[in-house]
Amino acid sequence: MNEELDSQLSAMFDNELPAEECELLARRLSRDPDLKARWGRYAVIGAVIRAERDITLDGTVAGRVSAALSSEPELRPEGARPAARPLPFHWWQPIVGGGLAAGVAAVSILWLRAHALPGGSPPAMPAMVASSGPEAVVPALRPALRNAALAPDSFVVPPAPQQQQQPMMGVPATELADYVVAHSAFSWPVTRGSLLSALMVSEPGTSSTHARSDQPAPGVHGNAIQNPK
Amino acid sequence: MGADVSDLSLVRRVQRGDKGAFDALVLKYQHKLVKLVMRYVRNPAEAEDIAQEAFIKAYRALPQFRGDSAFYTWLYRIAINTAKNAVVSRDRSPVEYDLDRSNTDESYDMQGRMKDSETPEGLVLTDEIRSTVNAAIDALPEDLRTAIVLRELEGLSYEEIAAAMACPVGTVRSRIFRAREAIDRRLREVFEGGLGRTEELG
Repeated sequence: MNEELDSQLSAMFDNELPAEECELLARRLSRDPDLKARWGRYAVIGAVIRAERDITLDGTVAGRVSAALSSEPELRPEGARPAARPLPFHWWQPIVGGGLAAGVAAVSILWLRAHALPGGSPPAMPAMVASSGPEAVVPALRPALRNAALAPDSFVVPPAPQQQQQPMMGVPATELADYVVAHSAFSWPVTRGSLLSALMVSEPGTSSTHARSDQPAPGVHGNAIQNPK
Repeated sequence: MGADVSDLSLVRRVQRGDKGAFDALVLKYQHKLVKLVMRYVRNPAEAEDIAQEAFIKAYRALPQFRGDSAFYTWLYRIAINTAKNAVVSRDRSPVEYDLDRSNTDESYDMQGRMKDSETPEGLVLTDEIRSTVNAAIDALPEDLRTAIVLRELEGLSYEEIAAAMACPVGTVRSRIFRAREAIDRRLREVFEGGLGRTEELG
């Protein structure tokens, strides 16, 4: 046997071998029966020098432990857990997920449109928060929102921001369409189609039904839109 | 040098699923553990059983071992607890035993059977090992004998032995290795004579 290897084994037995050498030798020790037998004899030598009188030195305990552990499973590192069981599938999960994705996409579009189009309405978020009906979700697509019958009792329009007069923060129609398509990968096809249709219809020049005006609607006084009721 | 670096490298291997590395730890500490347990139980065979149980418990608990203490310190605590539990259950067992079987001779026989693991073969081998190792140590040059005795009997580190013997640490390492080699050369003959059981491991 290699003398240098044996010298390392002796030092390792005494916990006096550098860590990096220990790593390599531990690997070899765990696989090499001759090296392991020598290691065991080093332990016997120590036991005799310490005059451990009442114990047997024939390796009985080691043999029995090895036999007992032969049926034990190998240990796993603490972090290595078995793969988590997948959650059960429910039929409503894709619908809910698609609805959420569509909702987020719709809100994003409307917010972007409110900021992007010149002369467009101010940010729509406060209005949407103030209202609760479906008409509040798509105010820009529905000019009739200003109709007293559909409008909420009262809500505050934020002061016209400077950005209305600024150059467009610029989201052209094609980019908006791309945005919707890109974010509708998980949405329900019907919702996705509605959104795209709505987007196309709402584009200036694509529909004559969409009226856009900076003039306050009837019943608007200052920054507040009052329901005439 | 880390006090527990080699034990820790073996422990890490076991934790990664290498059972062979645990054999090395058992080989290294089996005698110390049996000796320790014999403070609680007088019977050597019973002490071996408890040591065996402690090793198996240690193996199963090894994933939780973080290396905050030395491996032997951790193993020591497991062995002590196992020995205490064994003593408690043994103290209870004669009562339970008597409830089922009133014949005390059977109880005596059971204790007698526990000693069977101490076979005559094992005892002969143990005596032979002792005499061989002692003869080999006596035959060692003085510097080698001093180095190995300071290490094994006094438990000194290489640095402490170097200070005691007024020589470099590298010389200490070499002396201890040469001492072991000289003893092992004779010891191997004994183990290879057909009685050595440690050869079966691995």
